[in-house]
Amino acid sequence: MKWKRRKLYISTDLEETSPLRKFDPRTKLFLSLCASVVVMLPLQRLFIFLGLYIIFIIWARLFSHFLKQMDKIKWILIILFLVDWLVVSLQLAAEVTLRLSVLTSVFTVLFATTTPSELGLALESLGFPYRFAFSINLAFQSLGMLEQEWQAIWEAQKSRGVLFDIMNFRTLFTKVGDLVSLTVPAIVLATKHAWVITESATARGFDSPMRKPFHQLSYSACDWVVSIISAGLVSMLILWR
Amino acid sequence: MKPLLYAEKVSFTYPQTQRSSGPLSLSLHQGESLLVYGPSGGGKSTLARCLAGLIPHLYHGQMNGDVWIGDRNTKEMQSWEIAREAGFVFQNPATQIVTSSVEDELLFGLENLGLPREEIKTRFDNVVDQFHLSSFLKRSPFTLSGGEQQKLSLAAIIAMHPSVLILDEPLSMLDSSAADEFINLLKEQQQEGTSLVFFEHRLPYLQDFPGLKRIPLGIASNDQPKSQITTAAHPKKVGAFSIHVQGLTVSFGKKKILDELNIEFEGGQLVALAGKNGSGKTTLLRSLAGLQPFEGTIRVIGNRQDESDFPQLNMVFQNPDTQLFNPTVREEILYKIQSPNQELYEWLIPALNLEKYQDTQPLLLSEGEKRRLALAIALMHPHKHGILLDEPSLGQDQMHKDLLIQLLKTISQMGYLVFYATHDIELAAKADRMILISEKGIIADEPTRNILLNKNAWQQAGLLLPHWISP
Repeated sequence: MKWKRRKLYISTDLEETSPLRKFDPRTKLFLSLCASVVVMLPLQRLFIFLGLYIIFIIWARLFSHFLKQMDKIKWILIILFLVDWLVVSLQLAAEVTLRLSVLTSVFTVLFATTTPSELGLALESLGFPYRFAFSINLAFQSLGMLEQEWQAIWEAQKSRGVLFDIMNFRTLFTKVGDLVSLTVPAIVLATKHAWVITESATARGFDSPMRKPFHQLSYSACDWVVSIISAGLVSMLILWR
Repeated sequence: MKPLLYAEKVSFTYPQTQRSSGPLSLSLHQGESLLVYGPSGGGKSTLARCLAGLIPHLYHGQMNGDVWIGDRNTKEMQSWEIAREAGFVFQNPATQIVTSSVEDELLFGLENLGLPREEIKTRFDNVVDQFHLSSFLKRSPFTLSGGEQQKLSLAAIIAMHPSVLILDEPLSMLDSSAADEFINLLKEQQQEGTSLVFFEHRLPYLQDFPGLKRIPLGIASNDQPKSQITTAAHPKKVGAFSIHVQGLTVSFGKKKILDELNIEFEGGQLVALAGKNGSGKTTLLRSLAGLQPFEGTIRVIGNRQDESDFPQLNMVFQNPDTQLFNPTVREEILYKIQSPNQELYEWLIPALNLEKYQDTQPLLLSEGEKRRLALAIALMHPHKHGILLDEPSLGQDQMHKDLLIQLLKTISQMGYLVFYATHDIELAAKADRMILISEKGIIADEPTRNILLNKNAWQQAGLLLPHWISP
């Protein structure tokens, strides 16, 4: 039977065995921000960073996770590389493709080793308003549910004869029309989901001005060491001529 | 003595649909329990939200009457102040989860109360012990079964020590044993002095609830179905066939959800599939509908020349919102049908009590009405061999359940296979044949009467056979 499950580009599964799991979420957020700055450097320094980054993810026991993420976005990377190469130059194609793959990997590593609640707590302790931190937390935790709902919509429409396999250009325009049958239920379900969560949170006192978080984050010696080394490496790569 | 919760002629009208709910008046003292019951689409959920203060604090619309918690009117309270006094348990346990672990879910409300750390720890430990949640704490709530999720929702509310619990159809998504366990937890809460207000239409489950007072919500006369369903009215009959399922195996990763199942169906049968949440009921239906990759074979054998190998069974999904997008009910039913069978349409619409909604936007219907619309969509689409239904009685009151089973019997009498998965044992008991399934596979597959007499089979399936259901 021809059938393929559509997967999200961002994995929401936690990598419990990674040593990064034990680090403070603020450290991991800092590492991700450092990497986001470094990927903007020229190609030569980008290659040096890539080497260091691969050593880092091997140490973090996330290399197979890295390969899986690259596999998920391979077609985007290939198309991007070819278009940039044909339209502009090989150097730009290499730079843009490398930047996108490293950035994607850095943030999937962050989400693979940090729960949405930990991320929310990190943002809150960094001074972001609780509402904002809670929304970010909810957005990431809802990814899995949105994926399931998208799959359910796909199947429900397929079962009533809406087929999305585009055979030729003549059918292309009909298929674009059929996309409404996917997008409207997707918007309705996402909105409903958001509304029910709002109700549920409100019914448990979400907007209380007296809220006190139970868990407290603590920056350990290891967190300081990793943060200082990362900051040093980023500074070296930026200042190196 | 002053009531803990007092409502006086409370009603609410939604601005988009002009649908009104209520009026409802009630008075609830400490340790008392009330049951508000009525038909699907009768506004139970809306009135529950009025009592919990979500209306008018979150919803726009016209609210008449007043709700008092103690001596304060909910209109004059902040929603977080209401949350300290009145807990709310929603219908769908999966959608009310707001955090990513069981531990965080229990802590969420306690943190919002602004309690000292030590007090949070004490309440957290107590509720974990009381609800036996210690082995789940680090798990994602989304990996729990429906029964476990609903238990978690209740625990998260109970930890906040509300004086009143408002429950909006909390049993509707639970299998019989999970529903029984949930009710026992509520009885314990009542004994400890918590007052309860149920909004529910699975009434038999609550018939033994101690001291339960009942408040009916009115049934409008035009909600009654207009015509009796007769087989003579159905425009099409189908030839004899049988469907053979052999060695059906479905795995998700390393976990086998279905393992080497063998089942045979005949055209004209009305078959129910019952099992605990997570026993593989939906997976079996999806395999038969051709939506799920599987190992093994599913073949149809019949006396018609044009039989294809794989059966053509239309599926009615659990969540009707996954299908609805057209501007009217009529267009929704006829979407993608090349030459619609007008005779069949004219038969179906009154049979499903959808006559007055033909020009209504499908998304404005109540949950029960949406489910009947999803059934109409599946029946109007060409299907050679029959239909599959996933939890068809969700959101349906007794009258619409009776209507549903009457319709399903009619379709099966025309020679089609009607196969439905349900955790509603009352609905399952109406089938000609029942299959009991558990994680271990098929426990029993016999005429319904035999299964209802086989207590051992129910025990093996991990299900409770409610005492009010007899063969």
